[in-house]
Amino acid sequence: MTTTPAPPTGGHVSRRSRLALPWAVARLGFQRQFAYPQAALWGLITNSFFGLLRVAVLLALFGTRPQVAGYTPQDAITYTGLTQAFIMAFSLFGWFDFMRVIHRGEVASDLLRPASLLGFWAAQDAGRAVGQLVLRGLPMLLIFQVIWGLNWPPGPLAWAQVVLSVLLAWACGFLFRFLVNCAAFWSPDAVGFGRFAWAVLGLGCGFLMPLAFFPEWFRALLAWTPFPGMLNTTVELWVGVTSGAAAWAALGTQLGWTLALLLLCRVTLRAGLRRLEVAGG
Amino acid sequence: MIHVEHLRKTFTTRTGRFLSAGRRTHEAVRDVSFHIPRGEIVGYLGPNGAGKSTTVKILTGLLVPDSGAVTVGGLTPWQDRRRHVARLGAVFGQRTTLWWDLPVIESLRLLRHVYRIPHATWQANLTTFTDLLDLGPFLHTPARALSLGQRMRADLAAALLHDPELLFLDEPTVGLDVVAKERIRDFIAHINREREVTVLLTTHDLGDVERLARRVLIIDHGQLLFDGDLARLQAAYGSQRELHVDFDGPVAQPEVPGLTLLSHEPGRATYAFTGAAADPIARVTAHAPVRDLTVREPDIEATIRRIYEGDLLRAGIR
Repeated sequence: MTTTPAPPTGGHVSRRSRLALPWAVARLGFQRQFAYPQAALWGLITNSFFGLLRVAVLLALFGTRPQVAGYTPQDAITYTGLTQAFIMAFSLFGWFDFMRVIHRGEVASDLLRPASLLGFWAAQDAGRAVGQLVLRGLPMLLIFQVIWGLNWPPGPLAWAQVVLSVLLAWACGFLFRFLVNCAAFWSPDAVGFGRFAWAVLGLGCGFLMPLAFFPEWFRALLAWTPFPGMLNTTVELWVGVTSGAAAWAALGTQLGWTLALLLLCRVTLRAGLRRLEVAGG
Repeated sequence: MIHVEHLRKTFTTRTGRFLSAGRRTHEAVRDVSFHIPRGEIVGYLGPNGAGKSTTVKILTGLLVPDSGAVTVGGLTPWQDRRRHVARLGAVFGQRTTLWWDLPVIESLRLLRHVYRIPHATWQANLTTFTDLLDLGPFLHTPARALSLGQRMRADLAAALLHDPELLFLDEPTVGLDVVAKERIRDFIAHINREREVTVLLTTHDLGDVERLARRVLIIDHGQLLFDGDLARLQAAYGSQRELHVDFDGPVAQPEVPGLTLLSHEPGRATYAFTGAAADPIARVTAHAPVRDLTVREPDIEATIRRIYEGDLLRAGIR
């Protein structure tokens, strides 16, 4: 029947070649962010403008008080700078890419690739996130540093924890976004559900306001959700509101949610694809 | 290469909303069977909604049929999808697999990792396809800046870099000008000949079919109506040949015994006939002085249109 051997899709594949695909995909995801430099510049200008506005509102809230919920005014400025810097990298305003691919039926082309669908999208988003961090995140931090000065993590350990936390926040956030996008397998108008999900994300991850500013009961409620791990944890580690043993616990929580969301994504994706196989596109 | 036996697929769609909600089932594919040997190019034809893309989706492992057996190169597509798709190439004319914002070459480089193509093979194929499809001038251009013809050529190269055994082509020349169409057709014929790639071609452009496929499958309302070579289809269902005659002046009696008069105007007439042209020509020239005449062959497009419109095959010739 066939004379050519099938490509090695299973069996013994070295770790290096297994990582070659995600690396190549991430590289392209990174590279494509630089295709529209003007859009990136205007985005940065917009983010800066709203960043200034948010700082003004937060400082007004402080008034003459030296501290609010463990945050000094300088911490609040750092919080604002960080959250503004991560808007694009963590897609805090929402992300409908996978949903669009499902609705347009283009997921069929994705499935014709002999590669993990979730892995492919994750690698692509990782590259995108790094690209956005370079294009929009770092310049934003620089702007805040120049205007107000930022608080920086106090030492190598704190830096390591922050970097780890950024990675986990991205992973957690990506998996949540992917999961929400999977709704498109079941509903042709999943966009509305998506908008609701992004609103919850914005509130729950501490983008609108540091979670420490919220009432105790609300924070207790949020502690049972993955949302704080998608941004707030990282910010608190950076400004030092969370440190010592609490820092490791926070990182552990982020990791736990990442694994739980990964499992949920895989199950949901499998069910979605099963539905596609039976019901068509 | 492809074995399809008694394939069936039904879709259930919900109608109405809430209390008035009901269900309607639609048989997209009904008892379809065919076999395609390795290295063949087969045209898969049918009007919109006939069941073509459902069949292709099943063959690519994207849909699971309700019943029937399908093996492609020994594998059941939906059971072993990843291994199966590693041996497929596909070009859907209406959409691209290239990364929109990035230079074409980047998309082609990525495929090396997607399909784990040995570097030497990838390089050799890229060189060959660049040459055959003249990709050189736009390899470093972002996909979004390509013309439709260039994009299609790049997509074809992308579909073939991993040496697939089977190629699905869906409207590969849609929207292209004559020269661009011919270039794509030449390339498909070439890789089929040189590399023994089996090709399943779904298209509404019968020029593609006439140029590339000796065999056609015609499907309508989910049923396979015809499976055979084009010549047989034409012989069995083609319209009659036409004889267009310019007489040497007005003719009072355009009717010629033994020929069917299709239309006439002073000094000019069109007749229909079957078989060889010598006899009808002799009859016409004996009937009145002739200045010029032409024989027009029925085109495949007219034949297919007659089949779609007239349920010609429904009685079944299979």
